[in-house]
Amino acid sequence: MKTDNKIMLTGNKAAAWGARMAQVEYVPAFPITPQTEIVETLAQWFADGTLQGKFTNMDSEHSMFMAAGAAAATGVRVFTASSSQGILHGMESLYTITGWRVPLVLVNVSRALATPITLEPDHNDVMSTRDCGLIQLHAETCQEIFDFILIGHKIAENPQVCLPVLVNMDGFYLSFTREPVLIPDKKTILKFLPLFEPVYPVFQASQPMARASAVFGGSTYSYFKMQHNLAAHHAEKVFNDATAEFSELFGRTYEPAEKFHMDDADFVFVMSNSFATKGKAAVLKLRQQGIKAGLLKIRLFRPFPVAFIAQALCGHERVAVIDQNLAPGMGGITYPEIVSSLYPYENRPKKIVSVIGGLGGKDITESDFMSIIDHMKNSDSKTPLYLFDQEDQRAFQRIQKIANVKKEVSSS
Amino acid sequence: MYRIRLHGRGGQGIKTASQILGTAAFYSGYQAQDFPLYGAERRGAPIVAFTRISEKPVLERGPISSPDIILVGDETLLDDPQAAPLCGADESTAVFINSTLETSVLQQQLHLSSSLLKLNLTELCIQHLNKGTVLSTALAAAGARLVGMITLEALLKAVDAELSQQGIGSIQENLNLTKEIFQNLFPVVLKPRKEKTISPSEIILMEQANIEEAAPIILSPGNMILRKTGNWRVQRPEIDYEHCNHCLICYARCPDGAISLGPDDKPEIDYDHCKGCLICAQECPGHFINTVREAGVES
Repeated sequence: MKTDNKIMLTGNKAAAWGARMAQVEYVPAFPITPQTEIVETLAQWFADGTLQGKFTNMDSEHSMFMAAGAAAATGVRVFTASSSQGILHGMESLYTITGWRVPLVLVNVSRALATPITLEPDHNDVMSTRDCGLIQLHAETCQEIFDFILIGHKIAENPQVCLPVLVNMDGFYLSFTREPVLIPDKKTILKFLPLFEPVYPVFQASQPMARASAVFGGSTYSYFKMQHNLAAHHAEKVFNDATAEFSELFGRTYEPAEKFHMDDADFVFVMSNSFATKGKAAVLKLRQQGIKAGLLKIRLFRPFPVAFIAQALCGHERVAVIDQNLAPGMGGITYPEIVSSLYPYENRPKKIVSVIGGLGGKDITESDFMSIIDHMKNSDSKTPLYLFDQEDQRAFQRIQKIANVKKEVSSS
Repeated sequence: MYRIRLHGRGGQGIKTASQILGTAAFYSGYQAQDFPLYGAERRGAPIVAFTRISEKPVLERGPISSPDIILVGDETLLDDPQAAPLCGADESTAVFINSTLETSVLQQQLHLSSSLLKLNLTELCIQHLNKGTVLSTALAAAGARLVGMITLEALLKAVDAELSQQGIGSIQENLNLTKEIFQNLFPVVLKPRKEKTISPSEIILMEQANIEEAAPIILSPGNMILRKTGNWRVQRPEIDYEHCNHCLICYARCPDGAISLGPDDKPEIDYDHCKGCLICAQECPGHFINTVREAGVES
């Protein structure tokens, strides 16, 4: 296969190519829209001999994540993918395998959660895995998906980390969108990510060991959990080392968060994933209109790069954290994380507002970004800004009319 | 940047057309992005796809609401309010329609401020490929020619690459078709679109509603009847009543409940909702349900 060339790939294909160039040896799979194209592509490559190893169709995401963790415990390179309801179904296994301290890469293709059920994206699915103890990298472009899978395996397999890495992309806006992706040559990739040879204990024939111990009394449990926490924090340094090496070999530089027109920005949007592209376009347009806007795009979400984010945002007047997720009864999920990262600093932004938008694939428009600017300017804006406008209301009412809500019932 | 929107039906190769166009632009040295949009639907349902072509990196994602070029592969969609293929067309848009009608006739019907172009792609597909139902190459070739910046060489390479990837055998025939369409059309000159300044959205402060409104509860049952899916059909099942013995297996097997019982317990097909899956024809023990090509599909 000819490599080191740029080809048009969907986000899903870019993920499959990432796994292919990482020479993964085991893929347990279960289909779910909008992720299926990833495992379909890998199934083809395992079947035709492009990839050496084992591809297994599982009976659910619950057993799929268990199989992924168990295979990783034998010292092979493991890749798997899921989305939305599948992630929720496998949730018990995700907590379990991170506790096993095994390395693998898992791609989540973001899709909003039921009920009501939909196929379109928001981030409540990936946010549900926030506290599982995974390392998380969130991608804005198809190139980032490919690169983050290579970087992800490198971080996961680091002996000081030994944790699964989740790479996130938005369904539809990235998973089904094709754009040019550079696939580097195999040799250089091998330099960055050599074949996996674990230097720590793995399951082997005739060498009994256990990884899923039961503990009582709290002290032992606390010890292991706190060790897990230390390893997750250490992964930030490993991320920085890995991306520095990546930059040297491939020329693409990935900081924990990307600063877009931040230097003189008075108004900063904090975003993640594919809608950050829309944010960048809005920043450029707002600047044409004399508004000094900037954008901070979070790439490394776990561990949360607290110091990096504080350094990036301190000194700027106004910040809006745009959450494409919703914790009912609280608001945006990443907003409190940004605020608590900034709180210890005296030169923290004067105003940090929360914005909730893009739920269930709803677009965030140029006009919405202007509304966010207004919200940042408003001295009275203590509550989150929920992006829902007259046009959304009309679209909802058209559907509501068909569902025919009986007014006399609702008046009681 | 060129923003191109393609309309057609599931199975007509509209997504592939957007990808051939994207790859051709990419081979011509441009930044490209393509993206299809369809729900949990199937063959025959309206689908839309998008291709963006730019000299600079594309800082846009998702659907295109103000297209520079609209490519309509299936003219039966023109009056489908759900597909609304002409939505967002203005004086800076060029609309291309695969049609047998003359441009002047189309213009009279559509009253567009956009420039209007047509070519009978279906006829050309029949000539070159012996079938007029798959428009991927033809629609991509039309789009590539209209934007002007794509070379014939890059387009041919893209057709070859995309179709080979899908394991399609008739590559040479598709390349000949590409050449003919490329020679039959000319690049369009678009009126530059005025950049609008950004103004804020009309954000509303949502108030709490009662549970009947606040939750996805449907109080009015049976509203699927409002969703007419009859125009998804490529082929229609027709019951041969002279031989039908009213065994009602078709009635039991129809996955959409589009077969009902008429007087004398005769099965009757609801053509407003039958999607043309033809399971009834498959299941009829006496083969008394014929399949007939829908009018308008090949013409």
